[in-house]
This record gives sequence, C-alpha cells and structure tokens, in this order.
Amino acid sequence: MINRIHASQIAKTAAGALVIALGLSACGSDGGTTTATTTANGSTSATTGTKLAAATLNASGSSFQMTLEQSALAAFTQANPSITINYAGGGSAKGKQDLADKVVDFAGTDSAVKPEDLGKFKGATLLYFPIAAAPIAVTYKLGGVAKLQLSAETVAGIFQGDIAKWDDAKIKADNPGVTMPSTNITIVHRSDGSGTTSNFTKFLVAAATNWKLDKGDTITWPKNSVGAEKNTGVASAVTQTDGAIGYVDFADAKKANLAMASIKNAAGEWSLPSLEGAAAALANVKVADDLTFTAANAAGPGVYPITAPTWVLVYAKQPDKAKGEAVKAYLNFLLTDGQTLAPTVNYAALPTDLAAKAKDQLSKLQIG
Amino acid sequence: MTPLAQSRVGRSRKARNFAAVAWMVGAVLVAFIPLLFIIVHVVQKGLGVVLRSFPHFLNDALPLITTNAGGGIRPAIMGTLLMTGAAAAMAIPLGVMGSIYLNEYGRDGRFARILRFFAEVMSGVPSIVMGLFIYTIYTLQKGWTGFGGSLALACLMLPIVIRSSEEMLRLVPNELRQASLALGCPQWRTILSVVMPAAAPGIISGSMLAIARAAGETAPLLFTIGIVSRTNFDLFHGPNTALSQQIYTNAFAGPFPGPQERAWGSALTLIAIVMLCSVVARVVAARFTKVQQS
Amino acid sequence: MQNLPATHRLTGNRRPNRGDRAFRSVALACGLAVLIILGLIAFTSTNKAWPAFSKEGLGFVFSDNWAPNEKHFGALALVFGTILSAAIALLLAVPVSVGIALFVTEIAPPRVARIVTSVVDLLAAVPSVVYGLWAMLALAPNIVGLYTRIGSATKSIPILSAIFGGQAQGYSLTTASIVLAIMITPIITSLAREALATVPPSDKAGALALGATQWEAIRVAVFPKARGGLVAAVLLGLGRAMGETIAVAMVIGSSPQITSHIFSPSATLAGTVASQFGEASGTHRAALIGLGVVLFGITIVVNSAARMLVARADRALAA
Repeated sequence: MINRIHASQIAKTAAGALVIALGLSACGSDGGTTTATTTANGSTSATTGTKLAAATLNASGSSFQMTLEQSALAAFTQANPSITINYAGGGSAKGKQDLADKVVDFAGTDSAVKPEDLGKFKGATLLYFPIAAAPIAVTYKLGGVAKLQLSAETVAGIFQGDIAKWDDAKIKADNPGVTMPSTNITIVHRSDGSGTTSNFTKFLVAAATNWKLDKGDTITWPKNSVGAEKNTGVASAVTQTDGAIGYVDFADAKKANLAMASIKNAAGEWSLPSLEGAAAALANVKVADDLTFTAANAAGPGVYPITAPTWVLVYAKQPDKAKGEAVKAYLNFLLTDGQTLAPTVNYAALPTDLAAKAKDQLSKLQIG
Repeated sequence: MTPLAQSRVGRSRKARNFAAVAWMVGAVLVAFIPLLFIIVHVVQKGLGVVLRSFPHFLNDALPLITTNAGGGIRPAIMGTLLMTGAAAAMAIPLGVMGSIYLNEYGRDGRFARILRFFAEVMSGVPSIVMGLFIYTIYTLQKGWTGFGGSLALACLMLPIVIRSSEEMLRLVPNELRQASLALGCPQWRTILSVVMPAAAPGIISGSMLAIARAAGETAPLLFTIGIVSRTNFDLFHGPNTALSQQIYTNAFAGPFPGPQERAWGSALTLIAIVMLCSVVARVVAARFTKVQQS
Repeated sequence: MQNLPATHRLTGNRRPNRGDRAFRSVALACGLAVLIILGLIAFTSTNKAWPAFSKEGLGFVFSDNWAPNEKHFGALALVFGTILSAAIALLLAVPVSVGIALFVTEIAPPRVARIVTSVVDLLAAVPSVVYGLWAMLALAPNIVGLYTRIGSATKSIPILSAIFGGQAQGYSLTTASIVLAIMITPIITSLAREALATVPPSDKAGALALGATQWEAIRVAVFPKARGGLVAAVLLGLGRAMGETIAVAMVIGSSPQITSHIFSPSATLAGTVASQFGEASGTHRAALIGLGVVLFGITIVVNSAARMLVARADRALAA
C-alpha cells in the first residue's frame, strides 16, 4: 500500500516537472532571431512599397540552388518580417512532386517537368522563373593529385563504369606529366531524383559520344557506385572516400574545399569551375518561351561546359491572396536584389535581358 | 560444484566450461565497449556544442542557411515535445481503454483475439509505413503540419501501449477484483478504483517507454511535417521540425562543421530526453515489481 | 496459475447497471477504434500499392530491375539487401546477445547482473537516428581500411574472396549490418534473458548436483527448456533488423544490386522507400508503398513465427 503510493507519487512528480519545464521553455520566442543589422533594408528598395500581409510560404526542391535560396530568403524575410519562408530542399524531383501535390507554394528545380509528368499538375499552368546558374563541379578526392584535367569522354567513361582505376590510360592521356596513383575509382552519385543529375547527364549526352546512360533526374548508375542524398550528401561522401569522384554544385564544393577537375569545353580549353565560366556559358543561350533553356557544353571561349541553370516553379494561379503577393514579392526580390546577392554565394547572375524577361513574366501570376 | 565433484572433472570438460564462461564475459565486453564508445562519442561531440555560450544552442532558432554554423535547435526541441505530447494524448487514453476492453471484458472472445493479433502484428511494422499512411490520408489534404507527425507517432505508439497495458492489467491479482465485486462494487467502479490504481505504475511505465520510442522516431516524420527554422507552436497549421529530423537532415548537409555540430548537439539533446523518459519508466516499474512481490 | 474466468462473468446473476453498460460500451468503442485504425493502415497500404502489384505481378518481388525512371519495379535486389543485411547483423548480434543473457542469468553476481541489465535496457532506448549519425560520421569513413585489409588477406581463398573481395566502401552492406547488430543486441538480450529466466532453477541445480560443470548444466538443463524463447528472441531481432529504415538508409550506399561482395553498397526495402518516396508519383509511389506492404508481410510472418514458438515453449513449460 505504501509502496504503491510512492510509485504514483514519483510518476506525478516527474510528470509535473516535465510540464513545468515545458511551460517555462515555451514562454517567449526563439533567441537569436532578432535581426542583426538593418543595412539590408537600404538595398531592398526593389520590394513593394506597401507592407506585405503575413504569410508563410512552404517550398521544397533543388538542393543545387539551396545555398542561394536560403541566403535570399534570409535577406528577404529580414526586410519583410511578416513573411516566413520554409525551404525544405530534397531534390528537384521532390520539389516538382510536392508542387503537384499542392503541399508547397513553390518549388526549386534545375530541370523542367517532363511532358509525360505534366498530367500530375491537372492542366494547371506552370511558370518557370530562372533565378541563377552555377557550375556543376566534378569533385574528387585523390591523395597527391592537386590538379586534374578531364575531357568529356573521360568523364563519361568514369561515371558509367568503363574506367575503373585512376591510372587508366584515358585519364593519363588527359593529364600528361602527372603521376596518377592506381587507386580504384569510387563513383558517387545522387540517390534522390536530382536536377543536378539531369544537367550533368545533359552535358554528357551533348559532349561525350561514348555516354550510354542517357539523361534525367534519375538514371541507372553502374554497380558498386555509391548513392548519396542531395548535393551536400555527395560532397560528404567524396570527402570521406579516397579515390572518390562525384558531381557537386559549385557553391557547396567551394565551401567544402573539394578538389575540382578542369573540364575540356567545346572550344578545346581546359576550364575550371568558375562564375566567369558560367557567365560565359549563359551569354548566348537560346531561351524557350517558357524561359527554360540549357547551358550544357556551350560554345565559345572561357566557357565552363557543365553550367546548370536553376528555376523557381510556381502555379500561375495563386488563389490565396496573401500567399500570392508574398510569392510575387519574393520572386521579384530574387530577380533584382537576388541577382546582386548571387555571386556573393557562388552563383552566376542571369544575363540582364533574361532577368528582364523573367521579371516581365511576373505579370502572368493571377493572384486572388 | 562441490569440491568433491570438481576433483573428478576431466580437463577437457573444465576447458570447455572455461571457454563458455569466457564467451559470456567476452560477450558483455564486446557489446559494452562499442555501445559505450558510441554514447561517449555522442556526448563528447554534443556536449561541447550544447554548452558553448549556454543556453544559446538550446534557445536559439535554427540558422536560415543550413550549411552555416551557429544558431540553435529550439524549434526542434519544441517540435519534438509538442508532437510527442500530442501523440501521447491521443494514443495513451485510446490504448489503455482498448487494453481494458481486452483484459476485463473481451478476454478470450473472438473480437478480443482479433484485436490482440492486430496489435501484436502492428507493433512490429516498420515506422515508415505509419508515416506513409498518414501522408496519404492526411498530409495530402492538409499539407505539412505538426499534427500529421503526431498522428503518425500515435499510430506507432498505439500497439505498444495496448500490449504493455494489457500485460500490466493481467498482472493485477484477480483476488482484488473478486473482493471488490463481493463488496458490492459495480464492475466499472471496480476497474476504475481497484484495478487501475493497482496497474497504474506499470501502465505509466509502459506509456513512458512508448513516449520515449516515439520521441526518437524519424521515419514517420519524413513526409508529414516539412521543415521550419523558427518554432511553430501551432500543430495544425504549417510545417514543423523535430530533433530526430534535424539529426537526419544535418547528417546529409555536407562536410561542414555547422550542420555536423548541430547534428551531434541534437543527438545529445534527444538522447537526454529519451533517457529521462526511460529512467522514469524503469524507476516506476521497479517500484511496481516491489509491490507485486510484497 | 488457475485460469480464472473473465471479470464480467464473476458478476454472476447481478443485473448490469447503467454505469456498467456505459463503461463497457466506451471500452468496446475504444477497442473498435483501435481495430479500425490498425485495419485501415493495412487496407490503405495494400490498396495504394495495388497498381504496382498488378503491373509487375510476382515480378515485383522476384525480378531484379529496380529502375523507376524506366518504370521497372522489380524489387529482388532490395529484398536481397534487406535479408542479407539482417542476416549478417544477426550473425554478429546473436552470439553477443545470448552471451550477455547467459552472463546475467547464470554466472553474474546479482548486483553486477542488475547493472548490466539496466545498461542494456537503457541502450535499447537510444534512437536509431543517433546510431545512424554515428555510423555516417564516425564509422563509415574509418572502417574502409579494415575492409580493404580483410579483402586483401582473403584474396586468394576462393569463397572468401567472393565475399570479402571487390572494391570496399565505407557506405556498404556490412557497415549497415554493423549498425543493425548494435541496435538489435539490446532487444535480443532482454528477450533472451526473459526466456532463460523462466527455466526453474531446480533443473539447473539438479544437473549441478549430479556433477556437471556450469556450462554443461546450462547446455543440458537450461537450453532445452529455453530454446523456444531464445529462438523467438532471435526472430524478433530479425524482424527489427529488417524493418529498420533510417540508420540503414544513412550508411548503406543506396545502390540496389545483388552481389556476393558484402563490402559493396546495397539497398534495402525500407531504406529505398525513405529515399525515394518524397519525389515519387503514380506507379512509382504505388511501388514504394508496395515495398512497405512486402516488408509488412515479411514482418508479420517472422513475428508470428516468434509468437508461436513462445506459446509452444510456454505450454511445454507449464506441462
């Protein structure tokens, strides 16, 4: 009898303590959320003069644009505190699917919706807003090899499993005078459906006649390759395995200090990933009416051949007024201040005429 | 063995006995060393992060740029507590009442046996199936919400609560019930005033273990709650986040110190919460066993 | 223990009053609600998975071609990865778990036994995502050296080279199995401990009195009676290992393939669902839910077998 009372007393006390702790910590808002500076306000003159109604925008998709997206929304929400934007990442394919399921308000994507997938959107009009482009770096980890040059055919041979060791003849041919170790090559690719994969394989289809694996958000990779989630997952996997090679977006590769290979471009030059190379690739792109385009293996000097564009995808019809206005304001921000922000986080800004075309497309949003 | 018997035991039998004992002791070491090594590793990596300019890590919002360092995990702590709490509020009453039905009324009837079978089977189902189920029937309609996560966690907790509660009710001696009924108490009063208090410590203990399990789960939350960087107290509107999800997301967020530290810090915090629930559960259960034995 | 009748039958000839009826209805309603929820989960999953099942037929489980981009959904490689990773995990975990259980029940002094038991039980509470994090950031990067050494040591031995050969990866089947083994050890240990504890001490005492060594007494008197419970413990550990999603997805390398090289990347049913569901639609989504259903089915079979064994062991003990 006495012991039983003690047991339930203990339980009650523990429960009480937990509740009190919960109550205390629930008071107040998160620390560290006060805006550090207001200098950003001076440059956000491009945002609408009227104050935006409170809204929460949910988004998911491309991890390629994640760094830019998060930097942009940090600046935008600082200037417009009534708006909250949650960007969940997860890969271009997830973004497009979430948008089709109407679980998100916009999607980040590096690849267009395939014609056979358009049915998912039930006939609704979609708008592609290009926001930036960036190099896809071919990153590798190989002790003792500081500089690596790879032609498109060699890259294709490596990533489809034809070339198994780093001292293969084809790699040596691309790197005269460099001693290559005989380490095994470990291919690292994306396990989730990825616009980065799509753009990388688009390059291989365009530039390498020996590439057999086609292109797309998901392809069938050779056996014994390692699949990792998101660009950052590939970056992690490459850093951890000696002899690994993988394709990562430039921003993450630079931030992680990964070694990057120079790729031979269409003009025959060896080109290291750089924003200038990406800008050169964008200079003469042919843009479709819906503002989709490809910058893979662009012609001309100084081009980095594996340059990938990235878009924000939205429905043209925005039934919720507050959300619609927020989306419009945010897209406007991306196409104005965002373009100045992009190079600071390792993305190439759009050519001015393309940015202008995208801004014009904002009028196609039907809000309310 | 008695000394007399021992002197007659052949050498090979002694050797085999020694080998067996060595195996048992060795097994304990082989298991403990890596297990404790993992815990120590998590504590070591996580404690530095949590204690750095305490209490900022526990109190600040998540950084808006995932690959950056800094920020805190308060949104995740709140998310875990709120979602698990809501799940418990749904699963525990339902489960305990269901187990009351199973043990006090249904016993061996056909319906009771079907229910028991389902609960048994369901407790072994991978948690991701629960997540997919809630995604299909709730998230696709209502979008990312903390409540979707709670529903998925509740589905996970329900079979566990039913089975452990039924076990506890069964342990209550029938003499208690008979005495109460003999004294003229109606059956429902008997259950509420006699059986439940007797089984309460065990039921509480079982429920706390279910809560600990739910707090640590990631898979059911993957597709149902989205992600946020500021605490969202509204479980019914807008996405949310949880400690387990933060660990998972930051593990894939690249070879950068920021996300990795956040992952270790979240892991330590999560372990602390889960351990607290488990320890409370076992203390309560231990007292209960003493009652049973007295 | 006598089989006493259900409480309500003890009430005999008393007329059930309103309170009793109301309470009973509430309890019954809760029971029904639970059954409906659980049944709904089973039904909805199978229903949603049906398009994939009907498209692939038996090939869903038996053909090795998981290529969602080409709309092929043959999950054999995933079944292979699931079973093999769980099998290796059991191989590593069972000797350790049974050893610990024996240590605690047979030879440890009571104080030590209590400490060991408490620690093992607490370790069972560590969430799987934490194990996965450790495996991803600490284990996988550092274990490649060990794999490569094993690979080169067994290079010339025919069968072993097929198992340990090939290009060793940190993110591989074996790494996942190691994490699984660590995770299921506490579960198997506590269940094995319960099984061993049900054996009456008099049996063992009798064997010892007849001159057996400790080990012989265990082998002769304890194991036969506890065998059902022990096998059930192993089966439940197997079920848990096959169903583990997160920790496995983090380190297995996400590459479905059927290969004898255990140091190569692989993929499991649950892990594939976790990585691909977010972006899937239509038949792909149905196929992933179908994977969940297949896993569900395997888990039911394994858990039911375990339950039957325990019931049989209980009956044998009571006899």
